[in-house]
Amino acid sequence: MLTKTQTVDGAAIKKAIEGRDGKMLSSFYNDDALVRVIDRNNPPSRPREIRGRAAISIFWDDICSRAMTHKVDTAIADGDNLAFTQACAYPDGTKVFCAAMLELKNGRIARQTVVQAWDE
Amino acid sequence: MVGDRKSSGRRGSCVRPIETRYARSGDVRIAYQVVGQGSFDLVFVPGFISNLDLQWEDEGYSRLLKRLSAFSRLILFDKRGTGLSDRVDTRHLPSLETRMDDVRAVMDAAGSGRAALLGASEGAPMAMLFAATYPERTRALALYGGYAHFHKWVMPAERLEAFIETAETSWGTGATLPNFAPGRVDDTHFGQWWARFERLSASPTAAAALTRMNAGIDVRGILSAISAPTLLIHRRNDARVDPEASRFLARKIHGARLVEIPGRDHPIWTGDVDRVADLVEEFLTGQPAVADTERVLAALLVTRIYDTTKLGDRMWSERSQRFQETWRLLVGRHGGRVAGTHSELMISRFDGPARAIRCAAALRDAAQQIGVASAQGVHVGEIEMRGQPVGLTARVTMQLATHAGRGDILASRLVAELAIGSGLHFVDAGRVSLDELGEPLPVVKATSEQHLEPACRPKPKAMEAAALTARESEVVSLIADGMSNAAIAAELKLSEHTVKRHVANILLKLDLPSRAAAAAFSARQAGPDGP
Repeated sequence: MLTKTQTVDGAAIKKAIEGRDGKMLSSFYNDDALVRVIDRNNPPSRPREIRGRAAISIFWDDICSRAMTHKVDTAIADGDNLAFTQACAYPDGTKVFCAAMLELKNGRIARQTVVQAWDE
Repeated sequence: MVGDRKSSGRRGSCVRPIETRYARSGDVRIAYQVVGQGSFDLVFVPGFISNLDLQWEDEGYSRLLKRLSAFSRLILFDKRGTGLSDRVDTRHLPSLETRMDDVRAVMDAAGSGRAALLGASEGAPMAMLFAATYPERTRALALYGGYAHFHKWVMPAERLEAFIETAETSWGTGATLPNFAPGRVDDTHFGQWWARFERLSASPTAAAALTRMNAGIDVRGILSAISAPTLLIHRRNDARVDPEASRFLARKIHGARLVEIPGRDHPIWTGDVDRVADLVEEFLTGQPAVADTERVLAALLVTRIYDTTKLGDRMWSERSQRFQETWRLLVGRHGGRVAGTHSELMISRFDGPARAIRCAAALRDAAQQIGVASAQGVHVGEIEMRGQPVGLTARVTMQLATHAGRGDILASRLVAELAIGSGLHFVDAGRVSLDELGEPLPVVKATSEQHLEPACRPKPKAMEAAALTARESEVVSLIADGMSNAAIAAELKLSEHTVKRHVANILLKLDLPSRAAAAAFSARQAGPDGP
């Protein structure tokens, strides 16, 4: 498939996130990938863990179904590690900010940790 | 996810208040709120009536919303004609389709492309219609106490008019409560909230119109068109909607799973709210709710009315109700939290033991004023944050209250030790053997100074001057003028012996020790025009 050949790098992630392309995003992950989310409700000692590509697809489908804007900045690549920041806004103005750290394996995301905070 | 509302109210007060916004659905404005930052959206479709502002003021309702918004981005709204949304012309009632489309309008306004729907009671048929109409926008369907046909499972046509008449004649008084939550009719605090809930959610005319509108609900024909994963929850003895309604839905909605849970109160925010939230969370996130086993150190106060047999049933019921209202008020005033009742025991929770004792002392005084006697127990220990305290700490406190005598505040010695420096006073009360503790528990009685009984009885009220005869009054006023017995005798043309006898009688009648005191008494009695 075309998506299989897509190189996972800062530019590809930026394009998929900003374009709210859940399918594309899901294709960036290994089958047994793990996404951990740390925020106010999911503290570091008990982060939310989303395991496997199927669950990760649902996660991105949910996020991408929202009419919100995403802006990916400051992508830094270092070997198999990738980091970026993401500023998001809902139509009502509520803002969310995330910092993500990714570990790549065989060119796909194996592990991702997201730390996020939002207006409240 | 919005942790502010998930965490305790103390924190909630310093964060941004929940904003109410308005979505446009045709010509009508629909009020909505968005709470939480979960990775998926959850729309709560309320039942009969709702009010976005008021629901946060009820403990059970806000608990439910906090639980749901802890794992989702929760979207709340008032249906057209109810709560904060625009009123509708009661002569031209909107169809279920129109109301269902309000869900879409709210989702559009909140930027939600796809959402899970939680439909409660009358909200369930609306949610089902939405799921059948917009499958691409329905992530999943959770239906609580729902039904597909009003007359079959909620109320037969012949009973409808009687209900509407009740609604029309006594709307706003809370008279409909027994129809929905019979388990809460004795809870006056909740009863008052329910009456406000009626008044602030719909006018009497609108309530009757809404009932007629709901009576027309029949979505049996669209059930096979629902493709979203569906969870059905129904309380086994639901007072409003026959559980058979959800069994029917389970048979007709493809792949639907039905969970019947104990309970009879119908509104989703009454009864065991956590059980409902657990089921919805597990269904929508695919993971069991993380057992919220957080334990905190707290002081528990258990209050009961002592010696209930001396009062007649009616008087007992009146006074007990008054005392319970006072209890809620005083617990709140002392910074505590009403944690529920256990038969005749009233349980409240405090952050510290001194507050619990002070509240107990205030309750003891209040009980006396109401004409009952209290008996109370106070203990400190770890309790579960969630729900009513049921653990060892709660059981020990309840037993202390049972052991407490008339007017007593019986506390574990630990309470006294922790309250050192608070200015409270305790006296040793020996040890009490409790069922679950291996060793007898050392206990104390609390006697906070400001609430002590007076050390000695106040002196009997001095007799009125009116108790004196006319002659005695003359004698007193002459004493006050500083005259001797002989001078008084001369003045009144009496023998000195008679004057002496009058003086003795006066001192006796007025309970005074001396002539000087009688003189002072006379001076006190003098009005502006003299004695």
